[in-house]
Amino acid sequence: MPGILDYTHVTKDYGLPWSRRRVRALDSFSLSLERGEIFGFLGPNGAGKTTAIHLALGFMRPSAGAGQMLGRPFGDAKTRARVGFLAENVALYHLPAKKLLRFYGTLSRIRPERLRLRCREVLQQVELEAEADRNVERLSRGMQQRIGLAQALISDPELLILDEPTSALDPVARVAMRELLLESNRAGKTIFISSHLLSEIELICHRVAILSRGRLMKLSRTDDLLVRHDRYEIVARGVPAGSFELARHFGMPPAVSQVSIADATPQLRVLPLDANPSASSGQALGRNGRVQVTVSAASQRDALEKIWALGGQVLSVNPVRRTLEEVFLEHTNKETGA
Amino acid sequence: MKAITMMAANFLRQRRWPVLLLFAWILATAALAGNFGRGRPAEADIVFHAQHQAIYICIFSAFLAADALHTERKSRRILLLLAKAVSRAEYLLAVLAGTVVLAAAYALLSALCSIWLSARTMLPSAGIWQLLPMVVAAAMVAASLAVFLSTFLNPYFATACTLAIFGAPTLLHAQRHAGWVWLPGFPFLVQFLRFSFRAEWSPNWMSVLAAVVESALFWLLATAIFERRDIAVPVE
Repeated sequence: MPGILDYTHVTKDYGLPWSRRRVRALDSFSLSLERGEIFGFLGPNGAGKTTAIHLALGFMRPSAGAGQMLGRPFGDAKTRARVGFLAENVALYHLPAKKLLRFYGTLSRIRPERLRLRCREVLQQVELEAEADRNVERLSRGMQQRIGLAQALISDPELLILDEPTSALDPVARVAMRELLLESNRAGKTIFISSHLLSEIELICHRVAILSRGRLMKLSRTDDLLVRHDRYEIVARGVPAGSFELARHFGMPPAVSQVSIADATPQLRVLPLDANPSASSGQALGRNGRVQVTVSAASQRDALEKIWALGGQVLSVNPVRRTLEEVFLEHTNKETGA
Repeated sequence: MKAITMMAANFLRQRRWPVLLLFAWILATAALAGNFGRGRPAEADIVFHAQHQAIYICIFSAFLAADALHTERKSRRILLLLAKAVSRAEYLLAVLAGTVVLAAAYALLSALCSIWLSARTMLPSAGIWQLLPMVVAAAMVAASLAVFLSTFLNPYFATACTLAIFGAPTLLHAQRHAGWVWLPGFPFLVQFLRFSFRAEWSPNWMSVLAAVVESALFWLLATAIFERRDIAVPVE
């Protein structure tokens, strides 16, 4: 079953075929968006994210491959009535906000009576009703970005394509934008969002794709990407002289707080949470200390038994969760060889 | 249709200040030709004013139309516009419609000035009303040719080529060479240069029909090329 947005081996080259400066922006890129999901599109600068978006909207044609948006080939004008788009560094005509929305609404073929209603609704959604009659030229960059989002929402689209939507927003507006996107998604919209703000993506996206040098490096559900099922984190307390014993058990020096490890070797991190700054870490841990041990899945049982044998109390055992930033760097560094 | 009207209106609105300046210039030249209302102006001056305004309108339309795509791409405003349910053919039609409306407004103001001048010289003004549709038709061809050329040329080259295509045969004709009569604009320029308030001047209405056909052809060609252009690529 085709997705709401499908790329099939899409390649895009910039420059003339015989030019030495010919650049491959996308290289046999394939991707399929499922209806109703929030999809995060990540990649370093020049990875080809914006090119992929522009191809879908028909701003340019692929050099090879093909794609479909809402079941129609890329570039179909009528289909775009069902799509909302917010460009990176949004450029708007200098009109009062309400008139501008009416302008874009008319281009989206919305009937006048419905358009009046939609203008009010989207201005409320982006919290700019008070600025409805102000020329967008005189609005702040963040407000212009929100007007940009309002024009994307004006046709109540099935698919929302957002290129760096939060780049010009302050933290408060960013939270509001996140809430708005989640609300839109609950209302059934599919959201395709390209962003550098990995924390935002991590919070709202169901799936993410990492693109590097025009190639798809990783495509996964966000949870699957962030949770490492090969490593577990054990937090325990009340281990008498715990860190020394435990460290000895795992063959590590006790005062080390963070250890780089090979795959099969467990990692030990000592957290002297209630430590007296003048005391040594060993004393502190002996009284109130808490230990956090990262072990491989294979040695998890062994570590737990050792903690219990030392009289410690296991507080939690969880699969290790990474940040999206770590995952992103891992994949992009792998590609660039850094 | 409404989308095209909206885009054409937006096109006009964006260019309102230079156009108002141009209108002020028309009034100023008319006042100059009419000796600022003092004394009776010479018939030659009034004819010169009408002829040259007609040619200026064509040049103005070519400039305006040739620059449209470039400006919109440079400002990146075209992205949000073409992300809506608007085809590139409709977009180009809106640019042409906007240019023709501006040219018509320019031509009307110019015609009113000429009528004022002719009335002061006791000349018949019927010819001005016949000249008006000719001027608008010539401006339409100039605009459509300029838009077509600007889909693959820098706007300055596009304007220069449009003016060359319009002007070169006319210059050859004036030098008693035949001129390429089938080229767009040529029959209009010849008629403008022959314009007179007297009864001996009569318009060639076939050239208006030819202008409509040529404009449609240029619009189709422009669409065929523009459909294949990467509009998101930054322009130089």
